[in-house]
Amino acid sequence: MSGEQDRDLLAAEYVLGSLEGDERREAERLLAADPAFARSVLTWQQRLTPLAAHAAPAAPPADLWRRIERDIAPAATVAILPSRRRVRFWQATTAGALAIAASLAAFMVLRQPEQTRVALLAPLAGGPPVLMAMVARGDGLVVRPTASIAVPTDKDLELWALPQGETKPRSLGVLPPSGRQLTAQLAPGTQLMVSLEPKGGSPTGQPTGPVLYGGWLTNIEVPRG
Amino acid sequence: MSATIRADASDETAALLHRCAGGDRAAFRLLYDRWGSRLYGIALRITRQPALAADALHDAFLQIWQQVHRFDPDRGGPDAWMVGMVRYRALDIVRRQAREIPGYEPEEREDESPDALARLVSTTEGAALHRCLKELEEERRRLVVMAFVDGLSHSELAVQLSMPLGTVKSWIRRSLTQLRGCLAS
Repeated sequence: MSGEQDRDLLAAEYVLGSLEGDERREAERLLAADPAFARSVLTWQQRLTPLAAHAAPAAPPADLWRRIERDIAPAATVAILPSRRRVRFWQATTAGALAIAASLAAFMVLRQPEQTRVALLAPLAGGPPVLMAMVARGDGLVVRPTASIAVPTDKDLELWALPQGETKPRSLGVLPPSGRQLTAQLAPGTQLMVSLEPKGGSPTGQPTGPVLYGGWLTNIEVPRG
Repeated sequence: MSATIRADASDETAALLHRCAGGDRAAFRLLYDRWGSRLYGIALRITRQPALAADALHDAFLQIWQQVHRFDPDRGGPDAWMVGMVRYRALDIVRRQAREIPGYEPEEREDESPDALARLVSTTEGAALHRCLKELEEERRRLVVMAFVDGLSHSELAVQLSMPLGTVKSWIRRSLTQLRGCLAS
């Protein structure tokens, strides 16, 4: 009981924004790994959001809409952007992410049946997605980066699946920064996560390092013709 | 009456988000027109630098466009979803920057500003929160508001208010526990 209360307070502090350091990282990890914690966060968000009214509205810079519009441009425009923009550690270049997401979307329209499942894996700390996962032919999963990902040489990324309603993720193996294809039966609503692990993957069968990226598999209807 | 207006605005936002999920760029532009200044104001309070606030708003709107299919009205209102997008991004930027605290002066008695108050109580949730915040001691209420609105961390609040870190943490936890009880009643 007191453990649950503590978790709910941690969720409250996460939404409040006052956490820092290890506590903030712990909250981010739980947000990806613990559905009950994620629900607490949503509840507190609902409760505390009215406080945002204390910030007086202010006109954003005039050119900001153009920047946003440019970065959500359709594939034909974005795909030709050079992908050698400087990538900060662990951070995605938005243009690259969108180009690949858009080209995967085009691929889906051409090749897939009416429905498939996709997940965009975004940094838990916020920011654009860095990986896209797509279920192909029932039990195949294709994972591709949508941005350059830098992994320290003594570490590996590991991919995890957490089916809806379960509390322990199961490993889908080490994930090279260039992506991977694998076989796995994954239902819609399954959460995919990527953690940073020692070389070769987690020694324990559960994530031991920070969970960096996460997202949910969602059914996508793809119109034909 | 104003609560009705706000509820209509939420419905309108939800409808725009629904259109965005279908790839409707005109709806996305409308969403920016409706929400741009409000979210920029929120980001500006947290980052305190126009360039960083613009980055936070840019990233938030990109994320909104990319993740709009994940917005689920059953799991929370559109306002909380939109505000969350920009707040977590802005907090991420400032936590990463390890910004300097000296020289920063938060607005005094911000929760007494009539405009802010009018905006706060204009929704059912806002009115309930306002009622429950009033039950907190003034100093504790101030901590909660400063953390949420100015994005100050525990240690920044401790420096800002010349209070021991442990006191800040326990006051915040107690205030949140009290709010939880009050809002549930």
